[in-house]
Amino acid sequence: MRRRWRIWRFLVVAAIVVLAPTVAPAQTLHLPPHEKVVLKNGLTVLLLEKRGVPLVNISAIVKAGAAADPSGQEGLATTTAGLLRKGTKKRSAQQFAADLDYIGGEFEAEAGPDFTTINVEFQTKDLARGLDLFADVLLHPTFPQAETEKFLAQEMDGVKAAKDDPQSVMMSYYSGYLYGTHPYGHPAGGDEVSLKQIRREDVAKFYETNYAPGNTILSVAGEFNSTEMKAKLAEVLGAWESRAVKSIAIPGASPSKGKRLLLVDKPDASQTYFTIGNTGVAANDPDRVAIRVVNTIFGGRFTSELNEALRVESGYTYGAQSFFDQRKVPGPFVIFSFTKNETTTPAIDLTLQVLAKLHKEGVTQEQLKSAKSYIKGQFPPNIETSRQLARTIATHEFYGLGDDEVNELEARLDAVTPETARQVIQKHFPAENLVFVLIGKASAIGPAVQKYAINQDTRMLSEPGFWPAPATAKK
Amino acid sequence: MKRFGVGGIWVGILCASLLAAGGVRGQQEYPVSARTLKNGMRVLVQTDHSIPNVALYIFFRIGSRNEHPGTTGLSHFFEHMMFNGAKKYGPGDLDKVMEANGGANNAYTTRDVTVYQDWFPRSALPLIYDIESDRIRDLNFDPQKVKSEREVVASERRLSVDNENGGVLDEQLWATSFIAHPYQWPVLGWMSDIEHWTMEDLKHHFEMGYSPNNATMVVVGDVSAEEIFKLCETYIEPIPTHPPPPAVTTVEPPQMGERRLIVHKQAELPLLMMGYHVPQSNSSDFYALNILRTILFQGESSRMYQRLVDKDQIALEVTSGLEPSFDPTMVEVVAQPKQGVDPQGCEKAIYEEFERAGSAVVRDTELEKAKNIRLVEFYRQMRTINGRANTIGTYEVFFGDYNKLFETAKNYSAVTKEDVRRVAKMYFGANNRTVATLLPENAEKAKP
Repeated sequence: MRRRWRIWRFLVVAAIVVLAPTVAPAQTLHLPPHEKVVLKNGLTVLLLEKRGVPLVNISAIVKAGAAADPSGQEGLATTTAGLLRKGTKKRSAQQFAADLDYIGGEFEAEAGPDFTTINVEFQTKDLARGLDLFADVLLHPTFPQAETEKFLAQEMDGVKAAKDDPQSVMMSYYSGYLYGTHPYGHPAGGDEVSLKQIRREDVAKFYETNYAPGNTILSVAGEFNSTEMKAKLAEVLGAWESRAVKSIAIPGASPSKGKRLLLVDKPDASQTYFTIGNTGVAANDPDRVAIRVVNTIFGGRFTSELNEALRVESGYTYGAQSFFDQRKVPGPFVIFSFTKNETTTPAIDLTLQVLAKLHKEGVTQEQLKSAKSYIKGQFPPNIETSRQLARTIATHEFYGLGDDEVNELEARLDAVTPETARQVIQKHFPAENLVFVLIGKASAIGPAVQKYAINQDTRMLSEPGFWPAPATAKK
Repeated sequence: MKRFGVGGIWVGILCASLLAAGGVRGQQEYPVSARTLKNGMRVLVQTDHSIPNVALYIFFRIGSRNEHPGTTGLSHFFEHMMFNGAKKYGPGDLDKVMEANGGANNAYTTRDVTVYQDWFPRSALPLIYDIESDRIRDLNFDPQKVKSEREVVASERRLSVDNENGGVLDEQLWATSFIAHPYQWPVLGWMSDIEHWTMEDLKHHFEMGYSPNNATMVVVGDVSAEEIFKLCETYIEPIPTHPPPPAVTTVEPPQMGERRLIVHKQAELPLLMMGYHVPQSNSSDFYALNILRTILFQGESSRMYQRLVDKDQIALEVTSGLEPSFDPTMVEVVAQPKQGVDPQGCEKAIYEEFERAGSAVVRDTELEKAKNIRLVEFYRQMRTINGRANTIGTYEVFFGDYNKLFETAKNYSAVTKEDVRRVAKMYFGANNRTVATLLPENAEKAKP
């Protein structure tokens, strides 16, 4: 059934960003050997040979994402990425699609908060064609006016379509409400109002400002010969003219104080979707391994405290979980679940009790042992394919992390004690300062949820934008 | 419907049905060993030491097609109950023990099968067999767990049907397209049935569906065939057999004219779905149908994308789906109209493209492209131990023999332009279609 994979889609996306750790118990797992070269024009290239399947995966990270969108033009990074394939100096959008599909190639370009990823995958035998397609969109996009208009119109309707599936817009509301005007409050794909403010010139300017060899990490993984690949890359991408680029500075994010609640009204909802949390930690936080262990226990697996309480024991929900989305500066910490209208407050009460229990009782030695074993046992399939490996090493490079993220993880996990867990809970899991975002039927749940926060806001799901309300849409 | 939504580890059955090839590498490097246990369970093993992990799938040939009015959704509910306690591993033990040993699990139910999945480090191998044999042999039905699990399933239904426009429309489409065959009811079941099954119904379902001779086990990863067969002898072979589910004999009568339905619901945008009756997975037209769907729907160079999204700009997206099935099923077409576009405008364009594909043969490059796309897709699903376990099992169960997997290359390359034209004409006409449209009601009207 098509629906199956769509469940908790927004969490799946976040899970990719938070690169999972580690190693198997019996046989220590290491990242396969890979090498790094910097081309004369400043382009960083990572190469990792992986045999077994005749595919090549190329991932480029351009160091500018949704956080770089100008205020009022949220969605600009996404639009720029989306338009790369919609016309180049030598190919129309239609020609690019025909050439890509003919070799069964896969192409994606999307903007996350910190960076934009351009990914292409094709068969090893089609290396010359695949590289040509990749270089063409990265180096020579023309952003035709007609294609820009078409794309923006589709994106605007896409936001509307997403609102028909509350889960898929939950994080846009939550990020906006948690971060406010901080760049991490931007909805990555923009909204119905901000997309209207984007012109072709803005896209071209975003490209000129940010897409440059010195601002890009290229990661190639799969079945190929590194020596030949380096020569080919130098030939195809060496021509990319170097340009001085100002790096994107993202201001630090500090936790929200007190309690705040946003209720997004969906008058026909039969269940309430809720997120609770605050800002979390950065990708390079020294506590990241201990945080992962504690979060596994708290809300990161089926037998987590949260899922046990809200699903297994009470039947309030189909699922409850928590995660830290780790970024350049602290990204969000999120607890997410959903329950029918009638059990909204019992389920949220129980969530808060589980959180309070974590602070009061910490975690046991036995829980630690189980969580470490779970993380180790589940890690290897995260670096099984060339695509996963390309992403992993590129992301490490971006965040200034090394291979130790994988190679030393087993040892780092083993070093986590109940005492370090206690410190991590105190420092990184919110207790009293909480941000709530609920999507549900306000007439049914509104009065009851007032008890969670003195500061409350409401908004209709059907109103344009997320939060804060787009400037031009204010009444 | 799966048991738990986290992770997206599942390699779509949709993809599993799509395979292609031509001088395909990948599977021959890892040959499959097969054995049938004395109790009738079929076991397939593929060794791959590239990561120290194992993917274990058990396919039971029971799904919502084996249900009846009044007990719809029982297979899916039962899938949930398989995690709620047996003789040795009581309620909650299975998940706790498995996760503490580095393993994770999930399951999914379709109209035809119920599939259990374990992913674990090889160190957990004996434990997984102990757990699986315990629940296949001695599942327990704790009345408290039955009660709370009903609530969980109700929540799942609210999530994926009641509050998801695509879910509602899809359910109505199947219920309208099939009038006789049990594919007409949803895998999740009607809500009133979810609320009313009895303990007797559950026990009967277990006896009917969970006999070893109604199951296929697939193990892929850091294992040897010998050690798996040995574990099976110890843990699985002693489980007694019982009679399998009665054959589903109802045949859906031919549709003799277009059927239409409308759902009025609060929504930002309308939605359009269509279903066309097509044969089951093991029919000879399976490969031609997939090639046709690729040419029409896959990639931005596909005919439907070029027409509806790029040229006419009336849709945001247009896709098609075909799941593996034992009985004649449907190709589903989903179009997301743009705002302000009459869904009938999308309908008209889709009909014209089907008509065009049915009246003139496709270009050579389109056919070659479709075959290339299938081949790369095949590589993508065969590159993980999880993808291979699902694919091998799907071929064994739905095509009758895992060896058919190795013939997909040949089968796709044998498809001709004329085959593509023929299936377009044969299956995608007006009389064979059901059209479902979701029309938005505004928020004010929806308030009570």
